[in-house]
Formats: sequence, C-alpha cells, structure tokens
Amino acid sequence: MTEATRAVSIPVDSASATSRRAPLSARLRTVILYLLLTALLILYSLPSIGVVLTSLKSNAEIGREGIWTLPDQASLENFRVAWETGNAQKYLLNSLKVTIPATVISILFGVLTGYALSKLSFPGSDSLFTFLVAGMFIPPQVVMIPLFRMFNRAGLYDTLWPMIIVHIGFGIPICTLVMKNFFSTIPTAIREAAVIDGANELRVLIRVMLPLSLPSLAVLATLQFTWIWNDFLWPVIFTRSDDARTIMFGLASLRGQYSVAYGTQSAMALIASVPTLVIFIFFQKYFIRGLTLGSVKG
Amino acid sequence: MWAFIFLAIPVSFYLVVVIYPLVSSFYYSFTDWNGFSDTYNFVGLDNFERMKTDRLFRNAIENTVLWTAAAIVVPTTIGLLIALALHERGILSRVYKSLFYLPICLSLVVIGQVWIWIYQPGFGLINIVLKEIGLSQYMRAFLADPDTALQSVIAAWSWQQIATAMVIFLAGLTAVPKELTEAAEIDGAGYWRTVRHVIVPLLRPASIVVIALSVINSLKSFDILYMMTRGGPFHSSDNLAMMMYNESFQKYYMGYGSAVAVVLFLITLVVIIFYFRQQRGLEQLYD
Amino acid sequence: MSKRRIFHLLILAVIVLSTNAVLVGAQSEVSIVHYYSDALGQATMAGILEGFNAANPEYAVVDNSAGHEDFKTQILVTIAGNNPPDIFSYWAGARTQFIVDAERLTPLDDWWTETGLDEVVPAGVKAAGTHNGHVYNVPMNVHVVGFFYNPKVMEAAGITEMPATWDEFLTVCEALKASGVAPIALGSRNRWPAQYWFDYTVSRTAGPEYRTKLMNGEAKYSDPEVQVAMEAWKQLTDAGYFAADANAYDWDEAANMVANGDAAMTLMGTWITGLWNANGLEPITDYDFFPFPVIDPEIPVVVHGSIDGWVIPTNAKNPDGAKALLAWMLTPEVQQTWALGQGALAASTAIDQTAYNPVMAKAAAYLATVDFLSGYDLSTTPPMAEGGLDMFAMFMNDPAGYVDYLAETQLVFDDVFGG
Repeated sequence: MTEATRAVSIPVDSASATSRRAPLSARLRTVILYLLLTALLILYSLPSIGVVLTSLKSNAEIGREGIWTLPDQASLENFRVAWETGNAQKYLLNSLKVTIPATVISILFGVLTGYALSKLSFPGSDSLFTFLVAGMFIPPQVVMIPLFRMFNRAGLYDTLWPMIIVHIGFGIPICTLVMKNFFSTIPTAIREAAVIDGANELRVLIRVMLPLSLPSLAVLATLQFTWIWNDFLWPVIFTRSDDARTIMFGLASLRGQYSVAYGTQSAMALIASVPTLVIFIFFQKYFIRGLTLGSVKG
Repeated sequence: MWAFIFLAIPVSFYLVVVIYPLVSSFYYSFTDWNGFSDTYNFVGLDNFERMKTDRLFRNAIENTVLWTAAAIVVPTTIGLLIALALHERGILSRVYKSLFYLPICLSLVVIGQVWIWIYQPGFGLINIVLKEIGLSQYMRAFLADPDTALQSVIAAWSWQQIATAMVIFLAGLTAVPKELTEAAEIDGAGYWRTVRHVIVPLLRPASIVVIALSVINSLKSFDILYMMTRGGPFHSSDNLAMMMYNESFQKYYMGYGSAVAVVLFLITLVVIIFYFRQQRGLEQLYD
Repeated sequence: MSKRRIFHLLILAVIVLSTNAVLVGAQSEVSIVHYYSDALGQATMAGILEGFNAANPEYAVVDNSAGHEDFKTQILVTIAGNNPPDIFSYWAGARTQFIVDAERLTPLDDWWTETGLDEVVPAGVKAAGTHNGHVYNVPMNVHVVGFFYNPKVMEAAGITEMPATWDEFLTVCEALKASGVAPIALGSRNRWPAQYWFDYTVSRTAGPEYRTKLMNGEAKYSDPEVQVAMEAWKQLTDAGYFAADANAYDWDEAANMVANGDAAMTLMGTWITGLWNANGLEPITDYDFFPFPVIDPEIPVVVHGSIDGWVIPTNAKNPDGAKALLAWMLTPEVQQTWALGQGALAASTAIDQTAYNPVMAKAAAYLATVDFLSGYDLSTTPPMAEGGLDMFAMFMNDPAGYVDYLAETQLVFDDVFGG
C-alpha cells in the first residue's frame, strides 16, 4: 500500500471498529438518504421533465398554455413525426459511424500518450503534456476555416471522415489528461516488477496497466461518446448531402428561420439521447471498485 | 525509445488536426479579413490595440472570469456530493446514476429552450412557483434583466456540468478503499470529517480532471449561452467565446474575432500552466 | 481461364465502365443550400426540387438545409474555403451586398433578361436584389411587416375600424388598454423583432429617403430626425401599451399572446400567418392584418419587410445547373406552391392571386400599392446592425434612457462608417 493511503487509513480503522454493529440505524440512514436523494433528483430532473412534457404536446398547445402543465391528451405524434420525417434512422446510423471510431481511437491515443508521459517520462515530457492538454481550450469556431480547407483539399468534404478525424484530434487532450492522471496513481513498482520479469513496455501497458485502468477507460468512453454524439457544429461545416448528416445536426435543423417545432424537436432529442444513456448504463458497472484494489494488493 | 513509439502517432495527429489549423487561424488576427473576401490587408497589431478601448471586450473578460469562478465551485461541489451519495449503493443507485446523467445526454438546443421556459416571466416555472408560495415580489424576467441574465445562464450550464463531474468522481471513488467510505458512513458524526480529510485528498486525481474540465468548458461555453440569451440583453451575458462569434460571424470582423480568440487561448494557457504547476506534487504523492 | 475469356471479360468491363461514365457524365450535380430547415419548409422545398429533377433529368440536385445561424456560418466557411454550393438562399439587402462587395457573387442580369423576369417580378422587389447596378439576388418570396391582430380582442374593446393614422392608432391602443388587455405584444429577446418599430417610426416621420441615408451611413443616429422617431415609439411605451417584459419573449411567444387574447396585436412579418395556420387559427376570424398607420401625411408611405432570394457564388462548380434550377424556382407553379406553403407572398406576380387566403391577399394588395424597403438588419451593414439591434433591446428595457443609447449607437456608427 502507498504511503498516503496507509497514513490516512489508521483513524478510519479505529472509527469502524467502534461502530461496526449498527445495522438498524444504518438501514434507517439509507432510507433517509434515498428520500433526500429522490427529492434532489426530482428537483434536478425538472428541466429533463420539461423536455418530456414538451415532447408530448403539440405546438398549438404549447402556444396556449406553455409547457408546465400536463398535456391535454398525451400523444406520441411528435415521436412519430421525428422518427419518420426527420430521417432519424439514417442520421442515427451516421452518428454511430462517427462516434464509435472517434471514441475508440481517441481513447487509444490517450492511453498511449498518458502512459508515455507518466511512466516513461523524459526531459520535456511535462511541457509536452501541457502542450497536448492545451488543445482543450481551442474554441472550435477558431479552427473551422483552416480545417475546412484542409479536408476540402484532401477530397474528404461531404463524407463522415472529417468529423471522425476532428473528434479524434480534439479528443486527444482530455484523453491524455485523464489517462496520465490515472496512470500516475498506479505505483511505479508494479511496472518495474513487470519489466524485471522481462516484459516490454507494450506488454506492460496491455497486460498490467490496462486491466487496472478500467474505471478510467469507462469514464472516458462514456464522456467521449456523449460529447462526440452531441456535437452538431462539425456536420454543419463538413457536410452538404443528407447522406452525411448526424442526428444532432438533424435536430438542430428543426429550428427553422421562422418556426420551431418544439414538440418534434424534444421528441427527437429524447430519441437521440437513448444511445448515450445506454452507453452510460453499460459502462456504469466499471465504476464499481474491486478491480483496481485487487490488482494493487496482488 | 518506447515513449517515442507511443507518442509518435498521437502527437503527429494532434499537430496536423489541432495545432496547424490553430496557428493558421492566428495568422488572421493580424489582418482585417472580413471572412468572405479573397483579399485582406495585413494590419499588424491593430486588432490587439483595439481591445484596449473596446468596452465589449472588457465586459466579456469580466463575465468570463465570473463564469470560471462559478465553474470551479458549483458543479464540482454538487457533483462530488451526488457521487458520494450514490457510490456503491446497490441496484437502485444505478438507476439514480442514470437519471442524474440524463442532462448531458439531452441536446443543448432543447435544454436551452426548456431553461428559457423555466426563467420566463409569464408562464415560467420559477415564477409560477414563486407566485404559488406567495413570494411574488421576487418574480422577474430573469433572462431579460441584465442583472440576472448571466447568473441564470451559468446556473443552467452548471446543471449540465454537474453530471460530468458526478461521473468522474464516481470513477475516482473506485480508487478509494472500501473500508474508508463504509466506516465513515456508519460513524455519522465523523462522516464529513472523513470526507474532508480522507476521501477528498484521495480523490485528487479525479478532482484535477473535474476542475480542469469545468474551467475549460466554462471558458469555451457557447452553445447554451447562444440558445438562451445570445449574450444579451445588451451584452450583459457575453463571454469571450460569444464575443468572438459575434465579431467573426455576425459583424464579419474575422480579423478582430481571431484576435479575441488568440487572447482567449493565451489566457487559458496561462491558467492551465499555473494549475498544473500547483498539481506537480501529485506524482510524488502516489509514488 | 483462357485468353479469350479474359479478353471478353475485359471488353465487358470496358463497356460497363464506359456506360457508367456516360450515365454519370449525363447527370450533373447541382448543390443547393438553404435555410428553410423547419419541417414544413424542408418538405415543401424537397417537393420543389423533386419536381425539378423529374423535369430536368440531366441534373441531380443535392439538397441541404441548416438552421438560420448554422446556415450563415456554413456559407461563410464554404465560400472562404472555396467549395460553396452552386446556389444558396440569402436575404436580399445588406447581407447580400456584403458578399457582393467581397466579389463572391455572380451577377445575373443576362439570365434575368433571358428568363423574362421583368414582366413578372415587380420593380421594387427586383431593386431589393440589385446591388451596384446588377442583379445578384433573385427573389423567391416577399414578407411584409404590419400589424397582425386578434379580431375578437378588438371587437371586445369596441373597435371595428382599424386605425389608418397615428392618432387613430393611439385611440385604439387606449381603448384596448381600458378593456384590460395589452394593446401590443412584442417579443424582442432576439432583438430583431423590435427593429420594425424603428423602421416604421423613422420612415413614417423622417421619410424613406432619410431612412435609406441613415442605413447607408449618410445620416447619423445623433440627428434630430432619429430622436423624433424614437419619441413616437416612446409615446407608446410611456402610455404602457406594450405587454410587459418584451425582452423576455421570442416573437412566436408574442404571437401566441395575440392568439390567446392576452394582447391585441403585434408588429410582425407575414411569416406569422404560417405559425398561426399551423396552430389551427383561421384567417379573418382568428387573425387579421392592417398596415402601419400614417404618421405624417406629407411623407410617402413605404412597407417594410424582407425578401428571401437565391444567389450564385462566383466559384460555383455548376453555374449552368444553378441557373436552370433558379429558373425553375421562378415558374408560376413553384412560386405558388412555395408562397402558400410558407405563408409568404410570391416574388412573381404570375401566380393565381386568388389562391392567397384573405389576410395574405390584404398584405399582397398593400404591397402592390407602396414601395418596399427591407427591415433594419437587412438594410444596414452587419456590424452597424449589431449596434442598432442592441439599442432597440435597450430601449424596450428602459425607454427613458434612449438618448444615451442613441449616443452609444452613434459611436458604433462612427466606428463602422468612419465617423
């Protein structure tokens, strides 16, 4: 165990020894906690509930009484319109084609840079780290025109490629930051032991480090997937034909020059949020401890 | 040697896709380009000189600072509290986690609109509630009032940012030994002490990520601001990103807009270098 | 495999490839980008483009639409990056002028004459798309701005005649206020809906010529003329005729206030009828139109509004295809389909005028009798428009301070037009 953990675990051990037998009050505590959480959750979910209410109402009804009333008659008409006229199926597929490779590759790059910068540091690696992370600060509007020219020259305009490439490039900073921060919490001794056993760095990374970093990989995958999925600026810039449009772009487009189909838009937003929620639920299980600690101790 | 192999592809990719376009757009900050023309003049530092006297620029800087300050405190604290409450509490907490995560899954276009309806004076949620509970003297047009517009947008932004913070803290908590959280839990009185003195320090790597992300997102925040107020009323909620957009794409002062972008980038670069200096101790701590 | 078979296969391959090439060569792509991105606009436009494809098999149209602001960004980036669409929708007026001055648009005078558009497009509408003496923006539809009101609310306040003069207008407002409704709804959260108040008060008190000068930078915001106009506007705010918190609402919310009977009227463009029709309101019974009243009878009356048109960039890859498509857009059938679908007035007068609903017919009749001038943000250069729009929103927030706001606007003016 590390210096830090050992130092802090002493007072806690004694605390747990004194009050270990209190199952009833612990259960009561859990109930109260959940009641509080539920109240907080409802408050916190009000805007999301607003989206749901909007999706169940017609524009005329929203015009009459706003959105904070229950719909006169809940109808799934908006969902039908969003699904059929909004070209939702094609757009969803395009979104997946962009999001999945961009998420996977940007995380892969983050693992490589994060590991190299934390465990194989060399003169200048700190500066390189700052340089890589600085990319997070670039507002996308700044680089639109040069990027457009680049992809246009490369003949990639109006395909899904520019989106994939840009999301990988702009994903490198956050993936580097998260992975480097994570790897630096893994004791160097673990790596050294593996190296002494004769493993090369690639092997150490894949066999030793990656299994330890599942929670970080899960959080990165969740966030990257969500961010890339939700982007709608790049499709505006890099595509022209309907065949290369993503769901978020289709959604943003529903806001016309003089009219907004609030209900359809909300319905489409709810449809479009399903994949990101599924991803979150899927990766959630890696947020549970066990993996990390088990390996560290072993 | 291995470091080079690992870094070669990602770094070259980054140079081509991120740095090259960035540098080439910085070039425009020394010109008077309008965005459309084939031709433009080289104006040296004129665009930067202009900022000195530009009230809008000053105002945008101030608002950006306020936003960043809120970004350090609000989403981080609330995100941490929710993460602590939800960490490892069985199947029900998984459902709760998903519900708390929902805000970042929803499109900002729609979210922004719903927040408008929350702040609306007539049929807005807050004002409806204030009226019901007899506090109608506090009713106001939150987004139309220059005194409250920026804060209202920041609140809406924080709402979404909380979900991000929560996820990262949840992952970070996996590195905290189980005995620590459990023990703290049972011993009610000592709970907050344990959180403060034991769990929070152990969450340092996660906190670095959360704060960095929060600050960065605040500096770049544009979409929700655009949806809700477009920087208004009368620029009272402008930030640097909004101002850059206005100058470049509304007024077609592409040169000046690029100059604002350069400044935004430099400010944030200073912030991050300073921040990482502070965190330098991290590696030593864990080794 | 024998040599002969290989030879046959090769021949076959060549034939297949060449027929493919012929097929591909025969169809030239025309790319179009427009801002009619809402469900209705998109569907109507898709139908029009399908019709074009069917009638002109040699062309294949690539249709693309984006919401207002995304559209503007997309156009700028694709023009700057030298791969613009062959044809795109654009607002006639200062915004088109801006791209014309950047030498990025193709003049269409010859095409205009060949197509014989002078016979069907009114001179005033053509003028809005003419810059530096050449036609650049070919109009698709016209929207006029005037008062759209709720007849039931008017009736309840005992008003049967719609006002034609400023005094009558004030009387009507007073009666409405007395009946307990807000006379005027305005949703100026996004600033531009307030601009029509400035447009009309200036052109009705100082005259259209003065207004054009002001828009072009030849007259100043510090002029007494502008103050007179602002005073007229302020007269209404001082009397409490505007519904509260204008800056908190968008224009469609103001429209809803009128539809719901919480307010009597709103100064808006004809596109409001599209919104109301979609929400199930009936022209004449649920909504009606009257033009902005005359303030000074000595001054020639103009109507403000906006014209949506099409432009062809200089670096279009397929300018011929773009022109063919443009001609299709101006055919009477397409014009009629479009106007009725959008709640707009057709740019071409060759359509069946009786097809308009009675309210649109009123607007069309009014447009036919007076000169047309674009609204504020389409009349003055973009950076100036930003300054002016801020002023309008500030005015709605605090009318009493307008002299200060005018002074600030004059600073913007000095900066933009070089004082």
